[in-house]
Amino acid sequence: MEAALKSAYTEKDHAPQPAVRPWFFTRPTAKTGIVSWLTTVDHKKIGLLYGMFSLFFFLVGGFEALLIRVQLAVPNNTFLTHQLYNEMFTMHATTMIFLAVMPLSAAFFNYLMPLQIGARDVAFPRLNGFAFWVFLAGAIILNVGWFTKAGAPDVGWFGYAPLTSNQFSTHFKGDVSTDLWVMGLQILGVSSVIGSLNFIVTIINMRAPGLTMMRLPVFTWMTLFTAFLIILSFPAITIALVELMMDRSFGTGFFEVSKGGLPILWQHLFWIFGHPEVYILILPAMGIVSEILPTFSRKPLFGYPIVVFSGAVIGFLGFGVWSHHMFTTGLGTMATAAFSLATMAIAVPTGVKIFNWIGTLWGGQIHTRTPMMFALGFIWMFMMGGFSGVMHSAAPADAQQQDSYFVVAHFHYVLIGGSIFALLAGIHFYFPLVFGRMVSEFWGKLSFWVIFIGFNVTFFPMHFLGLNGMPRRTAVYDGNMGWNEGNLIASIGAFILGIGIFIYFVVIVYTYAKGKKIKRDPWDARTLEWAVPSVPPPEHNFHVTPTVHARDAFWYEKTHAKEIAEENALHAKEEESHGGIHMPSQSWFPILTACGMLFGGLCFAHHFFPGAIVGGVLTFLGVIGWAFEGPGGYHLHLDKDGNVKPDHGDSH
Amino acid sequence: MSFATISRRLATATAVALLPLFTSGWLTGPQSTFETKGPVARSQLDVFYVTLWVTMIVFVLVAGVLAYATLKYKARKEDAEKPMPPQGHGNPFVELGLIALSIAALVVIAVPTLRAIWYTYDVPEEQRANAYEVTAHGLQWWFKFEYPAEQIDGTGALVNANELVIPAGRPVRVNLRTADVIHSFWVPKLAGKVDMMPNRGNHLWLQADEPGYFWGQCAEFCGESHAVMRFRVIALAEPDFAAWVAKQKQPARTVVAAPEQPKLVAAGYIPLVNPKRNAPGYTAEFDADPMGHWIAKQEVDAGEDVALALRGRAVFKEKACITCHAVRGHDGLGVNGPDLTHFGSRTTVAAGLLENSKVNLHRWITEPNNVKPGNKMYMGVNGMAGYMTADPKGDMTVAHIKVSDDEARALVEYLHSLK
Repeated sequence: MEAALKSAYTEKDHAPQPAVRPWFFTRPTAKTGIVSWLTTVDHKKIGLLYGMFSLFFFLVGGFEALLIRVQLAVPNNTFLTHQLYNEMFTMHATTMIFLAVMPLSAAFFNYLMPLQIGARDVAFPRLNGFAFWVFLAGAIILNVGWFTKAGAPDVGWFGYAPLTSNQFSTHFKGDVSTDLWVMGLQILGVSSVIGSLNFIVTIINMRAPGLTMMRLPVFTWMTLFTAFLIILSFPAITIALVELMMDRSFGTGFFEVSKGGLPILWQHLFWIFGHPEVYILILPAMGIVSEILPTFSRKPLFGYPIVVFSGAVIGFLGFGVWSHHMFTTGLGTMATAAFSLATMAIAVPTGVKIFNWIGTLWGGQIHTRTPMMFALGFIWMFMMGGFSGVMHSAAPADAQQQDSYFVVAHFHYVLIGGSIFALLAGIHFYFPLVFGRMVSEFWGKLSFWVIFIGFNVTFFPMHFLGLNGMPRRTAVYDGNMGWNEGNLIASIGAFILGIGIFIYFVVIVYTYAKGKKIKRDPWDARTLEWAVPSVPPPEHNFHVTPTVHARDAFWYEKTHAKEIAEENALHAKEEESHGGIHMPSQSWFPILTACGMLFGGLCFAHHFFPGAIVGGVLTFLGVIGWAFEGPGGYHLHLDKDGNVKPDHGDSH
Repeated sequence: MSFATISRRLATATAVALLPLFTSGWLTGPQSTFETKGPVARSQLDVFYVTLWVTMIVFVLVAGVLAYATLKYKARKEDAEKPMPPQGHGNPFVELGLIALSIAALVVIAVPTLRAIWYTYDVPEEQRANAYEVTAHGLQWWFKFEYPAEQIDGTGALVNANELVIPAGRPVRVNLRTADVIHSFWVPKLAGKVDMMPNRGNHLWLQADEPGYFWGQCAEFCGESHAVMRFRVIALAEPDFAAWVAKQKQPARTVVAAPEQPKLVAAGYIPLVNPKRNAPGYTAEFDADPMGHWIAKQEVDAGEDVALALRGRAVFKEKACITCHAVRGHDGLGVNGPDLTHFGSRTTVAAGLLENSKVNLHRWITEPNNVKPGNKMYMGVNGMAGYMTADPKGDMTVAHIKVSDDEARALVEYLHSLK
């Protein structure tokens, strides 16, 4: 009976089928070369694509920051015009948030999360590729303005109405810089939401056997929380952007003052997205640090349930504090008080994380390797940013600090000192896993110290500038305001920071090409992503789907090698009897569909509506093709040594 | 000891700790939030000091433990043979204790925060009858101040631009309005900022303890020239304020041509030749005694060139300045630009940006876009052309108003005669 069922199953569903499909439904199979990247559905390749492009935009955003600091180095400077300066700070923020930190986090989600849960890929591999190509489309639309006469968007990353209206932001006929900003952000939102849904489904459904939720690595937990924050917060900004787009393109009056529109509505919609966005930027960083600290302290994370739970509480409270960005908009006493207290409350779960990280260090054997240096730097800098955060949770104090350089100092401490430090730590930490090479300790540590010093020299004086009354987003300042020294020091610091980042990147590129090759698990790590059979991991990640017995799954594997080996042998047999390792097929349709969105988005932003319709049709055709090309998928078979058998498997 | 006393003492101690920064000018600029000159800013500073102390104490404790743990448990060479550290998973009692302590620390911040939220929101009940009311309008990129209590027959409320004159020692309720985009009204030494929102009636209150001269600035990004949208607040003793109001209510001063008046060289000045973009418009001399300069500005300039001023009045009409600017009692009635009725008595020009000297005014009149890029005088406003007008493509490239050097001198003389 069982045998009959099994044979029917194999014969019917997995036997090679005759090619009756038209040529455009043929799945590409290139494993190397440009086509393999354009059509990839491999979460690791997509992660690398996210990583490369986000690092490119990180450098672009950093370059913009340096231009800003050159302009502000001396009072009454003329290096940039006011207009160009406004474009610069708008694009610096937009780039760093949406095109650098978010996609770099997405790179980690993509690459690591399926490995951490012992999966072969994400739940919807083609959708995963699509999310990346849509991200790239949005990034192009946001930046294309640099190459036009109108220049890049200049309304600030927050785009407060009514400055974004036609009346105030269209400087001449055909100035579509604001339309490009609106369209670019909407398309990026599509990418983020698609990616997040995919991650949520993957984490809920595709965990390896034995991997209960309370055994999930903290990074995967943070991926899950971040994904939920994204799908819950992006609709708010999407609504706001659609309304603004309608105002600008078709003359509606959502924010149009002369038509009775309410600019305050924009701020509520923007910040109900914008504040969770802050946690979207920091939670992945907290996840990475929560992986690195236990590894280099050689003991498990202190208070795992509380770290996880505090992440959830931060995510939850994050939706209830948005109006602290609006303390100066005249909310009235009661609302101001409520948001003030809610904002203070969020300091508790955040502080708890810091206590737990210190608890993780306590009693351990701390190996201060490069990733650990960045992770420790993260704790220090994030802590300082947290304290200035508490300072402006007190609304009356914030009345003096809001929109001053004090705030600029605060959020750079949490976003560079926090997010970026953790992401840089993560790159060092996972470089051996992803490329099989190890970054040199000397150069890694050197880049850390230069970045650490440069960062503090840049941003610490800004606390004083803000308290001394210097408003942000100002292209020039007078020399008699007591701001000269602080600004000059900050600008010098920015260049030290720039040099540090430069060293970091040179070292990374050098290591990629010529770094010391290593075997798997160079750090004696604890979580499942390091259990892959080789570095870089094979396409199918694990020869055998792992079974998880403990929170630090790989640590357990290493301490119970014999038990695991027996178990794996058994599971390998089972999987082979089910037809082998099931892998998703590549596809052209994700990138084609994204191209339709790029074309349509560009046309819409230029108010060329026939083109926008064509773009919409292309997108629709892409989706249709995607739906009808079939689910794809093929099987891999491994030989005794774990190599893929030359027969490419029975595709269908 | 009451809470206010404690926080005051802590504040003093902090100030002493931060002394080096104060003495080197890092925290004592004209827009310092530490050198408070009124109860609202002081209340906000008190809250800041509470947050500063609480976070400092927590920082010292947490950072101390972090530094200790890092150094104490750093792996050393000889540790290689040591066994693995105990693989403990945490301690719930430590966690709960720390959570309780964090909440306690936040309560210490929350109590004064709540008090100050209510205190700073509006003039306290008992002083409300005594409060003076003004309305501040934000415009791209200048401020208009309206005095609803000071009505002028046949004109309406007294208006002033970019310099808000208020009575000292008396609460002032400032209604905040905007005609275009969002701006924010911020005079750091007197009060924290509140935004001017379209379709929303905001307000703040402030009070200057003593007469004084204060720097302020727009604190919400409002477009191209946001950085140079500034203003000043001048607080006067009650009788001086009354005298100022009485004088401001008068129509513009008209110079009388006296044939025997000798031609004075004093009117002569050397205009800046091709002034650099963003060239500074402040002087150390002014900053040393801004109030003295303001008082001097109220008087007629010595060596006024009457003939030139009269010529300037004609130029003001010819060059269509009157379509946007009002000079009450003279020709202008425009409302798009600042009211210039008593322009000569102001210490600044171009929205608190340049000192109101002849050289600076000349520069502003001849090359406004070089001083404040995108300004409406240059680019036009509400469909009217400014110095420039649009070409068929919609770009502002066609010159519309040209002001020669001589005409500018005449305008300068005229405007400075408007005391």
